[in-house]
Amino acid sequence: MLEYIVKTVADLPAAAEKLLEVAGARKKVILLGDLGAGKTSLIQHFCQLLAVKEQVVSPTFSLINEYSYWDKTEQKEKYIYHLDLYRLHTMQEAIDIGIEDYLYDDNYCLIEWPQIIRPILPEDVLEINIELMEDSSRKIIFL
Amino acid sequence: MSTIILAIESSCDDTSAAVLRDGQILSNCIANQEAHSIYGGVVPEVASRAHQQNIIPVVDLALKRAGVQKEELSAIAFTRGPGLMGSLLVGVSFAKAFALSLDLPMIEVNHMQAHVLAHFAEDPKPEFPFLCLTVSGGHTQIIVVRDYLEMELIGTTIDDAAGEAFDKTGKMLGLDYPAGPIIDKLAQTGQSVFKFAKPKVAGLNFSFSGLKTSILYFLKKQVKENPEFIQENLADICASTQSTIVAILMEKIEQAATQENIKRIAIAGGVSANSGLRKALQTLGEQQGWQTFIPRLEYCTDNAAMIAVTAYHKFQRAEFVGQEITPLARYKID
Repeated sequence: MLEYIVKTVADLPAAAEKLLEVAGARKKVILLGDLGAGKTSLIQHFCQLLAVKEQVVSPTFSLINEYSYWDKTEQKEKYIYHLDLYRLHTMQEAIDIGIEDYLYDDNYCLIEWPQIIRPILPEDVLEINIELMEDSSRKIIFL
Repeated sequence: MSTIILAIESSCDDTSAAVLRDGQILSNCIANQEAHSIYGGVVPEVASRAHQQNIIPVVDLALKRAGVQKEELSAIAFTRGPGLMGSLLVGVSFAKAFALSLDLPMIEVNHMQAHVLAHFAEDPKPEFPFLCLTVSGGHTQIIVVRDYLEMELIGTTIDDAAGEAFDKTGKMLGLDYPAGPIIDKLAQTGQSVFKFAKPKVAGLNFSFSGLKTSILYFLKKQVKENPEFIQENLADICASTQSTIVAILMEKIEQAATQENIKRIAIAGGVSANSGLRKALQTLGEQQGWQTFIPRLEYCTDNAAMIAVTAYHKFQRAEFVGQEITPLARYKID
């Protein structure tokens, strides 16, 4: 477990670098935290770090957003799937939108509100908790 | 000979089919309404499996209501994107099979273009050029519309959509999802007495994520002092939230109107049902000497009639596609 404190939005690029480093070879990441904790913001900076061209916006309504980036190690175009299961209620609904396709390939998949799909997550998934602190800084916990 | 088009929309939650004859909508059917009401009208069935179950009955119903036989059709249209891949695939595959079996030309439609062209489903129709503010759960866009199929995106959200700001604030207040209509109703009995920080975004882009956080901090602080704060002030909190969201939208559309020197302003998308937004547009429109346009709600939320209207204009330009066509989860409007 590793804790990382984000005092202001100016610290977010560094937090995104930390995420990339901690993830290492792991491509599947779940993000937990209350509304307004900054899950989407962290993902926006993560995508910026990987030089994603598209505008990274909230997938709450669309459920799945897909962004592309150039993977320097593999020397080819790869994807970042940005999922948000906030609107869904059951694992069956998630399976019906084809979520397993995104969980078991070699592209990045970052999932907000992943609670309902715990049983089908890959074993080596990286879990991130973002806590809103009293002084409105954020504590990011990498589990 | 008449041009009769069957249109399919399956980009997100609802499966819809519509029939149009020579630019007139004959039927516009949406499946799932019954399923929704069983769940209290709040749980959208988002499974692509549901689209598969719904598509045949809803097409059947649309043809019946229109009094049209499938042999009379001139073309079949479908939403190509943007949307959820699994959902789009159902509509696209259905359209392909339907087109093959009846030897019909196919027309692909951009869902966001269609939201704008919903304004041509019935009178009054705006003249070109006009500005369209499309606001829904998933989108917040300002579009310059120069012709039926000539649009330019000049402003969009950089994080959350306007509809999402309503829904997530509702969640913090303990309201059901989607909370937009509930907040609207409560807002009408309250006063906009609380001030929330409006985001500063350059140009014509929007941001609603910061507003969400600002409301969250405000509520946390107030609840600490008075645990009953939300219950005691619910209507005022709703009115304040709504007026802030509406003010952000109005500020940008006014800026866009000045920048583009256009005085015809239209709104589209599900959030255009919001009474605060409608009133604000009307008031600002009168002050600014704008001509304003708001379609009936049936044509604001996701529907196949708007797909049919868009397809009608593509039909006249003979913009058909072949069986090799694939859906696009991301699909730009311009």
